[in-house]
Amino acid sequence: MLGGLALLQAAPAFAHAGDSGFVLLLPTGYYLAGGAFAVALSFAILAAVPPGPLDRLAAWRMKLFSAPIEWRLLLSWISCAVFLALVAAGYWGSRDPLSNPLPLVFWTMLWGALAIVEGLVGDVWFWINPWYGPWRLLAALTGRKIAEQTDATLPGGLAYWPAAILFLAFAWLELVYPAPEDPGRLATILLVYYLANLLAALVFGYRAWMRHGECLSAFFLMISRLALLVGRDAGEGQTRDRPIDCALPGARLASAETLPPSGVVFLLLALSSVSFDGLSRTFAWLGFVGVNPLEFPGRSAVIGVNTAGLVGMAAALIGVFLLAVWLGQRLSGDAIPFRRATGALAWSIIPISLAYHIAHNLTEILVNSQYALAAISDPLAKGWDLFGTAGLHVHAGITAGYDSAWVIWNTQAAVIIAGHLLAVLVAHVVAWRLHGSGRKALLSQVPLALLMVFYTAFGLWLLASPTGA
Amino acid sequence: MTDESTKSSLILRKPLTRRSALKGLAGGLGAAAALGTAPGFVRYAQAASSAPIKIGFECHRTGIGAAYGRWYERTTNAAVKLINDAGGINGRQIQLIVEDDGTDAKRGTEVMEKFASEHKVDVVFGTLFSNVVIANGPTAGDLKMPYYVVSEGHQVAAGKMNRYVFQPGITDVKSQVMAMAPFITGNLGKKVTQIFPDYAFGYDHRDNLPPSIEKAGGKVVAQIAIPPTETSFTRYFPQIPSDTDVIYHVMVGPAVLTFVKEMGEFYGSKGPQLFGFIDSLEAVDMATPGLEFLDGSHFWEGSPRYLQANADEAQKFYRDHVGIDENGAAKGDPKDVSTAGHMFGCWETLYVIKKAMEDAGYQGPDDKKKLIEATEAMTAFAEGKEHPQGDKTFDGKTHQCFGHQNISQFKDKKLTVVHRTSIEDGMYPPEADYTTEKL
Repeated sequence: MLGGLALLQAAPAFAHAGDSGFVLLLPTGYYLAGGAFAVALSFAILAAVPPGPLDRLAAWRMKLFSAPIEWRLLLSWISCAVFLALVAAGYWGSRDPLSNPLPLVFWTMLWGALAIVEGLVGDVWFWINPWYGPWRLLAALTGRKIAEQTDATLPGGLAYWPAAILFLAFAWLELVYPAPEDPGRLATILLVYYLANLLAALVFGYRAWMRHGECLSAFFLMISRLALLVGRDAGEGQTRDRPIDCALPGARLASAETLPPSGVVFLLLALSSVSFDGLSRTFAWLGFVGVNPLEFPGRSAVIGVNTAGLVGMAAALIGVFLLAVWLGQRLSGDAIPFRRATGALAWSIIPISLAYHIAHNLTEILVNSQYALAAISDPLAKGWDLFGTAGLHVHAGITAGYDSAWVIWNTQAAVIIAGHLLAVLVAHVVAWRLHGSGRKALLSQVPLALLMVFYTAFGLWLLASPTGA
Repeated sequence: MTDESTKSSLILRKPLTRRSALKGLAGGLGAAAALGTAPGFVRYAQAASSAPIKIGFECHRTGIGAAYGRWYERTTNAAVKLINDAGGINGRQIQLIVEDDGTDAKRGTEVMEKFASEHKVDVVFGTLFSNVVIANGPTAGDLKMPYYVVSEGHQVAAGKMNRYVFQPGITDVKSQVMAMAPFITGNLGKKVTQIFPDYAFGYDHRDNLPPSIEKAGGKVVAQIAIPPTETSFTRYFPQIPSDTDVIYHVMVGPAVLTFVKEMGEFYGSKGPQLFGFIDSLEAVDMATPGLEFLDGSHFWEGSPRYLQANADEAQKFYRDHVGIDENGAAKGDPKDVSTAGHMFGCWETLYVIKKAMEDAGYQGPDDKKKLIEATEAMTAFAEGKEHPQGDKTFDGKTHQCFGHQNISQFKDKKLTVVHRTSIEDGMYPPEADYTTEKL
C-alpha cells in the first residue's frame, strides 16, 4: 500500500543531467579561490598606484563622429511600430513561447542581449526607445514643451523611487511569476506598461521619466555608463547632431553624478535580482525552501518563498553595501556625508551588475536568439517566411555537452572576475575623488573591497552550483 | 502505415521545424496532390474544406522539462506533418496548438482549461512530467476532454486518473522495471544492490524491482537511498555489500556524472556489473569524459538512441523524419542529443489518436464519447511506421499500453541493444477498470 502511494506520486525523474552536471566535474573550487584572490590582489596593487593617472585615464575621450539627431525620431517610430507588431503577435501568433516572437524578442533580445550591448558598446536605447516618437507627437499635440533641462528630475522627492519600484515588479515578473513567457499575458503586461509610461512621460517630462521612472530605460542608461561609446548630451528636443566619443570601459562611472538613496537602491536591485536569479535555481536554495531539486514542482509552488527571496536578497545586498561604505567612512576618519559616499561609490557596482547579467543570460541568448530569428519570420504562425529564417533549425547543441560547458564556464568565470576587477578600479578612483587623500581613500575602500572579493566567490559559486529549477 | 507515408518521405528530407509542420497544414492540399494516386487522396480531397482537427499539445517548453519538451515538440511536429501530408484524419488536417505549461502542475491545469474554453480543441496530448499529469487528470475529467499523456508514469494504469485519460504510446515505469528482472538475474548476476534517489521516482524502482528479481531467481541484497540534494557519493559506496553481483542505479539530475565518476574511482576496473536506466543520461552525449567507467554496463532504453545495425525500415523512417542521426543527435547538430528513450511516445500516441478517430468516425467535439470508446476498444498496435518502437498491446480497461523494452550495452561510446524483452515480461494484473465510469 505504501509503495502504491509512493508510485502514484512518482514523477519520472527527468531532471536533466547535462549542463550544470558537466560544471560539477570541473575544478570550480580553484576558480572560486583564484577569482577571489585576483580581486583581492588587484586591490593590493592599486594601493600602490597613485590614483591621479587613473583619474586622467578616466577623463580620456576620443572624438569619433556625429550622429544625425533626426534619426532618433525615425528609429523610435520604427521601434514603436515593431513593438506594436510584437504585441499583436503576442495576441494572435503561436501560443508556443519559443515560436512566438514577443517573449523571445522581449526577454532574450531586449532584456538579455540589448542590456549587454548597452554595457559594452553604448547607449543604443537612446536611439531606439519606442516611447520617444509617440511622446514627441503627444507633447506637441498637448502643447507641452519638448526642450528640457539636462538635469531633469522628478518632483517632490520621487527621485529614483518609481524606477526602483517598477524594477522590483519587473524582476518579480521575470523571476517569480509563473508564466512570464506566455505570449498573450506578456502582450497585455507590456501594452499596459507601455501606455502607463507614455502617460507618465507626458506628465513628468520624457527625460525625467526615462531616467528615473521607466525602469528599463533607467537601467540601460546606467549600465551604458560602462560602455566604450559615449553620446554627448545636449538636452531633450535637441536639434543638433549628437557627437559620439570613445571612452575607456567604466571611465564614466567615476565622474557620474552622486546618486540619491533611491538611485542606490535601484542600482543594487538590478544586481540583487540577477543574483537571486542564480540563487533560486541552486540545490542550496531549493533545499532551504524545502523543494526537492530533482522534482521541482514548477514556479507556481514557490511564488511565496521566491518573492521573499527576491526582496530578501535585495535587502541583504543593500544592507551589506551600506555597511561596507559606513565602515569605510569610519576607517578613513573623513567627514564626508554618508549619503554622498554611498551615492558615488554605488556606481562601482555597475561592472559587477553587467558581469552577472552576461554570465546568467549567456546560454539563453545563444539558444533563444535562434528561436527568435525563426519566430520573427512567421510572427503570426501563418506559415509565412518574411526574412527567410522561418525554417531555421535551432542548434540547441551549441550550449550542450562537456566541451561547451567548459567554454561557457570559463567565459562566465572570466566575465565575473573581470567585472569585479573593474569594480575595484572604479571604486578606487571614486574614493580618491571623494577623499582627495590617497591614504584616506585607500582605507575607505577596504570594507568595500572585501565585499567585492566575497561577491566574486559568491558569483562563481552560483554558476558552479548544481541547479534544479 | 499506408503507402502515403512512404511516398511523402521522399518529399520530406529536412529536419522538421514548427514551421514545416505548419506549412504542412497550409500546403496539405498540394502535398496530397503530389501523392496523387495514394488511396487516401480521394477521401481527403472530398473533405478538404472541412475544419481542421485541433490537437492541444501541452508541452514542457520552459521550466525543468524544457530539454524534453524540445524533442517532444520536434517528434510531434514530424508526426503531424506526416499525417497531414497523407491526408489528415478522416480527411481533415490536424491543427496543432502548442501551449507551454512551464513544467508546472498549476499552469498545466490552466492550460487544460484554456484548451477547452479558448482553443476548443478536440483532444489534449503530450504531457510528460507526472506531477503535471496528476494535476491535469481531474481537470480533463471535469471538462470531459480526451487527454492522451506521454508520461511513462504509473498513475494512469493504477486507476488514479479517469475515463478521459489515456497512455497508449509509452509503457509505464512499473512495467519497465519489472521487465528488467529476468535479464539481470539471467545475465548479470543474482545479488542486486539498488542505488536510487530518495523520492518518488526512486521508489518506483525500489518497490517494483525486488519482487520481480525474486521471481526471476535473484535477490535484492541492499537498497541505498540517496538524498536528492546530494552531490558527492563516495561515502555511500561502502554500504554496497561486498557480495553484490549487480548494482542497479537510477540516479538522476546534474550530479549523475559525478556519481558515475566517483563510482569509477571507488571500484577501479573491477567492480560489480552495472545496470541503469537511460533516464539518468537521457540527452547526454555518451562520449562525455568520465562516463568511461560505464563501459560494458547495461541500460534500459525505451527506444534505442543509436541506430542499430539491424534497425528495420520503420525505425529508419521514424528517425529520418524526426531528424536524428545515427547517434541519436539532431541532424547537423551532433551535440544536441535527443531524448530518444522516450520521445517516440509522442509519435505513436498521435497515430493512436488518428486510428481511434478513424474507428469512431470522429467528426467533432460531439463525438468525444465515441472517441473514448473507440480508444478503449483497441487491443494491439502492430510494429511499423506508425509504431516504430515496436508492437504493443493495449488494455482498454486500464488505458495503458504494454510493449517491448530494450536493454542496451554501453560499449565504444555507443549503446547497442543486446536484449529485447517480451511484452509479457512487463505485464502485471490490471489495477483499474475505467470503462465502468460514466462518460
